[in-house]
Amino acid sequence: MDILRLQKEAQKKIEECRSLSDLGQLHTVYLGKNGEINTLLQNIKNLSLEEKKTAGKQINELKQSLTLLLSDKKISLTEKQSNDTKIDVTLPGKQFPRGTVHPITIAISEISAIFEKIGFIRMSYPEVDYEYFAFEALNMPATHAARDDFETTFLSTPENKKFGRMVLTPHTSNGQVREMLRVKNPPIRMINIGKCYRPNWDPTHTPMFHQFEGLCVDKDITIAHLKGTLDYFVKEYFGADTKIRLRPHHFQFTEPSFEVDITCTACKGTAVVNGNKCKICKSGWLELGGTGMTHPNVLRAGKIDPNIYSGWAFGFGIERVIMMKYGIDDIRNYYSGDLRFLQLF
Amino acid sequence: MNIKITHSWLLEYIDTDATPNEIQKYLSLCGPSVERIEKVDDEVVYDIEITSNRIYSASVFGIALEVAAILPMFGKKAILKKNPTLEDKFTSLNAPSEKKLTVTIEKPELCPRFSAIVLDNVTANPSPEFIQKRLKAVGVKVINSVVDISNYLMIELGQPSHIFNYEAIGKQTIHMRESKKGEKVMTLDEKEIALPGGDIVIEDGEGRLIDLCGIMGGYSSRFVETTKRIVFFVQNYDKVHIRRTTMKTGQRTLAGTYFEKGLDSERVEATLTIGTKLLTQYAGAKMISRVQDIYPVPYIPKTLSFTPNEISKKIGVPIEKEKIIKILASLQFAPSEKDGTITISIPSFRQYDVVILEDVVEEVARVYGYFAIPSVLPEMKYIEQPKDAESFFTYQEIIKSFLKHLGLHEVMNYSGCSLDLLKSFSLDESKYIYITNSISEDIKYLRQSLIPSLTANCKQNEGFADSVRMFEVAKTYFPNGEELPTEQFKIGLAVNTSFEDLKGILDGLINELNIPSFYFEKGDNALFSPSAQGKLSTDNGKTIGVYGLIKLQYTQKVGTKKSVFAAELDFTALIENARRMPMYKPFSQFATITLDVTVPHTKSFDEIKQYAFKTCRHLVSLSVKDLYKDTITLRLVFTDVTKNYTEKEALEELNKFKSLS
Repeated sequence: MDILRLQKEAQKKIEECRSLSDLGQLHTVYLGKNGEINTLLQNIKNLSLEEKKTAGKQINELKQSLTLLLSDKKISLTEKQSNDTKIDVTLPGKQFPRGTVHPITIAISEISAIFEKIGFIRMSYPEVDYEYFAFEALNMPATHAARDDFETTFLSTPENKKFGRMVLTPHTSNGQVREMLRVKNPPIRMINIGKCYRPNWDPTHTPMFHQFEGLCVDKDITIAHLKGTLDYFVKEYFGADTKIRLRPHHFQFTEPSFEVDITCTACKGTAVVNGNKCKICKSGWLELGGTGMTHPNVLRAGKIDPNIYSGWAFGFGIERVIMMKYGIDDIRNYYSGDLRFLQLF
Repeated sequence: MNIKITHSWLLEYIDTDATPNEIQKYLSLCGPSVERIEKVDDEVVYDIEITSNRIYSASVFGIALEVAAILPMFGKKAILKKNPTLEDKFTSLNAPSEKKLTVTIEKPELCPRFSAIVLDNVTANPSPEFIQKRLKAVGVKVINSVVDISNYLMIELGQPSHIFNYEAIGKQTIHMRESKKGEKVMTLDEKEIALPGGDIVIEDGEGRLIDLCGIMGGYSSRFVETTKRIVFFVQNYDKVHIRRTTMKTGQRTLAGTYFEKGLDSERVEATLTIGTKLLTQYAGAKMISRVQDIYPVPYIPKTLSFTPNEISKKIGVPIEKEKIIKILASLQFAPSEKDGTITISIPSFRQYDVVILEDVVEEVARVYGYFAIPSVLPEMKYIEQPKDAESFFTYQEIIKSFLKHLGLHEVMNYSGCSLDLLKSFSLDESKYIYITNSISEDIKYLRQSLIPSLTANCKQNEGFADSVRMFEVAKTYFPNGEELPTEQFKIGLAVNTSFEDLKGILDGLINELNIPSFYFEKGDNALFSPSAQGKLSTDNGKTIGVYGLIKLQYTQKVGTKKSVFAAELDFTALIENARRMPMYKPFSQFATITLDVTVPHTKSFDEIKQYAFKTCRHLVSLSVKDLYKDTITLRLVFTDVTKNYTEKEALEELNKFKSLS
């Protein structure tokens, strides 16, 4: 075999090769175990010593040059193949089912996480409770006019001699005294999230809704601590530029009591959006809910000495904070079971 | 409650340089919330929310008291021009001395203060312009001077009054007492009300009930346009009695709304005095009797003492003694100071809502300004969350998230369902707790299973969704006599696709929760078709879940076109067995042997599987390859984690299993 001819032939074939698989074959033909190069090397033994030397050198050079050619060609073919791969990268990928959790679930996760960071534990208390825990323990005797604010859903179960009738809790505040009785000795830092029930059913009310209740009891807890916590919460949940304000209000289970407003999430408290009056708040502020310093009678009902300890509590509507943050306004959709709504989340 | 007053009316009581917008802003920050300012004709009208503890402020005079205390803190002038409780005394009327009316009150506590005067020559002519204009502006119907003046007084002073036809009062005798159960009174609105008993009523000298006190006057003694002689009547009542009657009779009136919150006995005198003057001036009235004022226990101001530090310590910011004194003085608490202790005297109009130190804290803090109090997070403390609570919330998130990623949608239904729905599932409603005053029949019965509502969700959505796959995590309620019901937390699943889909979701969930010890078996739940249902049990035989094809007769009643496959699991029992990570078993470094085998499908798959693992010591996994007639083809994978394992050994184990299957 003429080494030069072989080299020419191999060069040509490698040059003309168009695919990586053909190139692989060429590699076998020339450099494989039974390839041309090895055949040449085997045939060398028939030559004279002098010829062996020369031929050996030539064959080695040929081997090196073919190896180089093949590897260069491999690089260029790989690059070409890679460049030639054409895909409509905008086509949909493999389809996986997309489920959803309820928007209330999402909000509960967000809210629990925010309070967990400042050491508030989440607890859960009965949704059917005695009037005692829903009202009396919260400083609301049966004859009190303030009980009107919590129109109540009564149940068919027999009345308990000690604790009164059973109700579907009109607020999550029944958890306050229950948590005090559980913990016995403050500090208490609790979030109670649950379903509440009041007999209202219209575009802005459903007979079932969710509240989250915060309770903090310790030595020397002040209004400043309540403000600090609310301020922290609204900045975490609604955004760092959110401000709060407290206005006087009245709840039997707190003294003093406040209503909390936050700067409107749409107009950032300016009451103006694009030169027009903000349609959401009208005044720059949105009402968040009720709060206050735990009434001494409530602490007493929880067997905590109000001369040593003080505390604060709040109860806000989850549907309301979602509305304020995400603008979902028709709350009747929440409990309608309508997939067209549920699958939006 | 909300009240409306006009700006011009307020200016009769207050000398101020503040604009209506400033009044709205500052009052809302430190006192009653001014929800709106409206313009009615040329009157500026405030719409103000009054909380139930501050009924004293539910009037023009009451708002004036607040304005006088609050506005100066913002550098605004606000001086109270007149104070009727101090200035308008009965003596200023110079009434004649005749009695004209016999009054007895059965129990003094029913009526802390009673006042009445008899007026003659009354003419029900139109009210003067200013009264008409103001009443219209605040949304009160204008009728005639006599009725209008009564309404006007209520808005100006926050004290209801009543006008009786003097001649219609039998023997001109009034006996105030508690009603007996079942007694009837016909009120002004011509409704006959059967009294629950224990209500405050007035019986006249002929044994007729002529007043449902504090709520509405009686029909027989009502004022009509031809009435000439009237009894002008201003009272306080025990708030608990009024509240009770309102609740039990369902008679809601504005007067009742005032009385049930506890009114200021000192304001009775001003109201009768000013009212008599107005009736004289604008309705031609002439006094023909003395003022009967029955006030057995006149109010003696209570006092409270405290140090400035006690106040500051609750607020969380130091407030100087002088500032505290100034604020309390502006709120009519007449503070005095001795040796660093402040003593206040609680005026009668604050007797119900200022009782303890915290009430004083509120007064100081609100006028000082809540906005001026700093925001400070409470000191960090470690609070131990009970492990069961932690696990309850953690697994709720894990499970919801897992089901979501399988493509299911979470739904939240009402905790109650309708009787119809229970009946559709042949459920016995007598075992259910129900809402006795339900706003709707749709949510009356507290659920014991989530499946009926989920089935209804399938029906509701099948029209516009190719497939419905939903889940709910919620409480169910089982009665316990007079103890609280057992609130059982459940996971409900419903799909209208296939049994296999439902079972796959359950399998996936059990895997996700790394529960190795549960098994599936045939079920016997009444909700499901007998031959297409199963239950999920723990290895000690406790059933924690059921699943299957809902009986077609039930889904038909609900109205679904497609079959519904549903499952329900006891959440608490499920998570008791769950693990965040599976039991660790090292993987085998040695070869695995995969063998297929076909056996009779006479036992359930789960039984065959249990048996296979029991007989084949080196079996690591078992899956279904095929089903054909009465046989099942299984794929078994064997290995040994400690040494090389041969096909021969595997075949030996397999044959043992096969021969016994």
